[in-house]
Amino acid sequence: MNDIDGTVRTVVKDEGPPPSLLTIVLDTNPHAWAHLSSTLPLSTALANILVFINAHLASGNANCVAVIASHSHKACFLYPSPTPPSPQPHHGASNGEVEMNGPADRPIYSVSDNPNKYRPFATIETAILNNFAKLIDETDEAHLSATPTTLIGGALSLALSFINKSTIHHSPTSTHADALLSLADADGKHSERTTLTSRILIVSVSGDLANQYIPMMNSIFAAQRKRVPIDIIKLAGDTVLLQQASDATGGVYMKPERPEGLLQYLMMGFLPDAFARKTLIMPSAGGVDFRAACFCHRKVVDIGYVCSVCLSIFCEPTLPDNLCMTCGSYLSLRSAQMNPPALIPRKKKKKRRAGGTDSATPGGSTPAGSSTPMHG
Amino acid sequence: MLEAAAQFKKQDGKLTVSADGRTVSWEANSGSPMLDIAVAEIGNLQQTPATAAKASIKVVVQKSPDQTEAYTFTFTSAAARDDQQAITGALRKWIEAWKAQAAVTPVATPRADGSSASAAMTIAQTVVGAGKPREDAYDDAKLLADIELQRSLLNSNPALRQRFDQAVRDKPETITIGQISNQFWATRVHLLRSHAAEKAQGAGTYNVLSVVKPKNEGGQFKLNMSKEQIQLIFAQHPLVKKVYNENVPGMSEGDFWSRFFNSRLVKKLRGEKITDVDPTDPKLDKYLNLDDDADNAPSLVMPSLPHFLDVEGNEQNHSQRLGNRPDLTMRPNTNEKVPILRVLNRMSEKMMADVPPSDADRHAPAGLDEETYKELQLRDLQRAADDNRIILKVQDQSQFFSAGQGLHTSSSAATYAKRTPAQVLSIMQQEFKNMPAGQGQNGGIDLQAAIGVEDESSSDEEASAKKVKVGSRSSRAAATSQIVRAIRKRHLHNDDYLSSQVTPTGEQAHKLGLSEQVFDNLAMTHNTTIEFLHYFWAVFYSGDPERANEVAKLIETLDKSLDRIKAVADTAESERTSSIENTKREIEIVAQRTGRRRKFDPNSIKGGAKVVNTIVEPLIRAIHTARKQYQTALSEQMPRTNLLNPN
Repeated sequence: MNDIDGTVRTVVKDEGPPPSLLTIVLDTNPHAWAHLSSTLPLSTALANILVFINAHLASGNANCVAVIASHSHKACFLYPSPTPPSPQPHHGASNGEVEMNGPADRPIYSVSDNPNKYRPFATIETAILNNFAKLIDETDEAHLSATPTTLIGGALSLALSFINKSTIHHSPTSTHADALLSLADADGKHSERTTLTSRILIVSVSGDLANQYIPMMNSIFAAQRKRVPIDIIKLAGDTVLLQQASDATGGVYMKPERPEGLLQYLMMGFLPDAFARKTLIMPSAGGVDFRAACFCHRKVVDIGYVCSVCLSIFCEPTLPDNLCMTCGSYLSLRSAQMNPPALIPRKKKKKRRAGGTDSATPGGSTPAGSSTPMHG
Repeated sequence: MLEAAAQFKKQDGKLTVSADGRTVSWEANSGSPMLDIAVAEIGNLQQTPATAAKASIKVVVQKSPDQTEAYTFTFTSAAARDDQQAITGALRKWIEAWKAQAAVTPVATPRADGSSASAAMTIAQTVVGAGKPREDAYDDAKLLADIELQRSLLNSNPALRQRFDQAVRDKPETITIGQISNQFWATRVHLLRSHAAEKAQGAGTYNVLSVVKPKNEGGQFKLNMSKEQIQLIFAQHPLVKKVYNENVPGMSEGDFWSRFFNSRLVKKLRGEKITDVDPTDPKLDKYLNLDDDADNAPSLVMPSLPHFLDVEGNEQNHSQRLGNRPDLTMRPNTNEKVPILRVLNRMSEKMMADVPPSDADRHAPAGLDEETYKELQLRDLQRAADDNRIILKVQDQSQFFSAGQGLHTSSSAATYAKRTPAQVLSIMQQEFKNMPAGQGQNGGIDLQAAIGVEDESSSDEEASAKKVKVGSRSSRAAATSQIVRAIRKRHLHNDDYLSSQVTPTGEQAHKLGLSEQVFDNLAMTHNTTIEFLHYFWAVFYSGDPERANEVAKLIETLDKSLDRIKAVADTAESERTSSIENTKREIEIVAQRTGRRRKFDPNSIKGGAKVVNTIVEPLIRAIHTARKQYQTALSEQMPRTNLLNPN
């Protein structure tokens, strides 16, 4: 080292908990929420979730959040606000202000200079509420009558791609770039960038997700590969696929018995990030429903038949033309599984020397009690 | 001993096959030329067909690889054809016998015996036609029949032994030990195979001289050498053998070895530097100058060297032809300066001579083989190979991803049908308007009011309310208790996502309140019951009517398993009652001493039959399912047979 230049260029690794990204997939199925409005109205639920988001952001300086709404006919981002794909034509506005579309009597939320509210909290809150209002405005009766369930598969894919993008954004840079950065930095010490840890929280109120078995399982395996835990809080609806999601990825699954205490569930069960979870025992419910949905009818099955080439699941052993519906390979079931169990020992009749047709023992594979009328 | 009159190279004589089948010899009638062929070396045997005029056989012998000799014998006696058949048959039998024996020995551990070192080499070369003995030894059927192997595996693995003994103890009388052990091992063939592979491995040779050292015990130097070590020394250093043979009738053995290990000779053989302070030994120092390598012959007759890079081919490419002289460390050095390098290299060569080569297959063609040729190819310059994958013809992918499902087919549609979509929409919009927005200062939601948590309100007021408000204290308390219950259950199961424990530990036993012994008993009963269930389902689904009796007996066994579980539960219950008695007695004692009586709560004593039953509840369910399926299948088949056989 030169003695003239006394700067110490050391790179220290940040020892604290890594930055954490929380992605919330909010199931906004209007049918289900309307049904739940007596116990837990949507407005209060949304407020509770906002408090939870604020708590998450407060736990670390670099924590971030994303909220995705999974609706009846589409899944869209509530925060960060999606930028419109093309410049919107102005509708009769004379000045160049950006105007909010919609009737004027609806409350417009804006990030005004509220000195009592922490700015990041206020930004997120207004964005979520604005986008949610837009979403509700866009739905009409046709959308609602088409399906009773929500597009959770699409929402999960959106969440995973956002996590992927953020991880790349936060990933540590190469050493060459570090050298350049160190020149620019006046202060000698600087810390290396640490990777982002992410998790997904699904607030689910609808059932009947067996329809989306395949896209959901694909997303679950992708999350497993990327080590993204999927936590589930199930306020209503049947559980078929989501338990598998949390079990496969190491997340927490909870079905609150008292949905009114939603905030307590959120804060106690879902707030710790991946770093803290290593030392805590998470309150995940024990049993997991591992049933799958068949590929032909989307029925939920627990014993099924699997094609040995492409691993698609079917509910009946007889397929049209004996061909697998996905890959077209010829399939047949082994005879060992087709034979009924033989429980009566065959009585060995004396074989007659003349006339071999009367011998009582038929071929080796047919059991004694079978229905072929050999003895007439 | 077979004899026949035969001609060899136009000379009359007699062809003899020895009684033990080791040699085939031919002796001319005049007595002088004699021919001895070892049957173990015969590679090929040919005979002329029955239609040929003359009856003769041709014996092809492989003295060493690449060197084959053929001997043709023509039978001249009256019954030439019969002689030919007889001798050919006998020879064939002996050749096969020898080949089978030769095939077995290479698999065994290479014994570091002086004489068998070279024998192993020749045996290795005669395994030309023996095929692949190693794979057959690990055949499934062979492993299952090998009782010795199974026994040694059980001895080495106590947990497995316990399972097996328990299964054998609890089996029903009609199923033989053979059947149940067959079933037991049928699913554990991979364990047998790995155990067999482990046993077949042995230790190789090692450098004996460096290991054997005189130890200093109480002022005197003592030396321990086993017979094998002595033999190894003779094998690795033929010079020592020579010295021994020449000197030992003169001096005693102990004397010889003690002098040997103190002399300069042992230092030279070890490769250590001989300094001037070493004691000289008049008798042994004579041999200092003799060369140790009398036995270089086997290593020179190696099968072809793998020539994967021909360095000599670069000979013309060397620019200055100075060789290694410029580099000080690369100059050839005399033995005295650094003898250890040579000694170690020579020792390694000797040790490796016995080990079969691992990089080249013995039967591969000499020269460059396929793999190394491929390695030397420049792959980047070649065209891409054809795609050899199986293409899945997935017809219509969109049908998997469509989420379409009408309202009439869903399960929750019934609840949703109470409201029309228009109603739902209006409810949503109403809700949204009701968001307590704009009530905070300058816009934004007053979250404090929205979540409904009021710290001052007490639960008494809310108890009278008909509807529980969101965020009320009671709901929060209920939420906390549910979460804590789940955590406790998780802790009990020790069910960490990152660590999966399969074996139950004493800690868990303690948590549940059972003693370790009862817990172990329970675990063992569980294991054996699972074995029997496996067996039952395998027989049940095989559809083989021959095994119908087995199925019936297995059902009885499963019933007995239920009794066994009950026995364990009773033991646990008796333990619990005894601990209850103990606590009661202690309370009495304390009461007598201090006059204060502590209240006794029987629920605080954990354990007992209840806990055992909760633990094995899935197992009991499995047994009942098996029973039920058996009964239904049996009842289906009974009336049918009654119809067919009314007698």
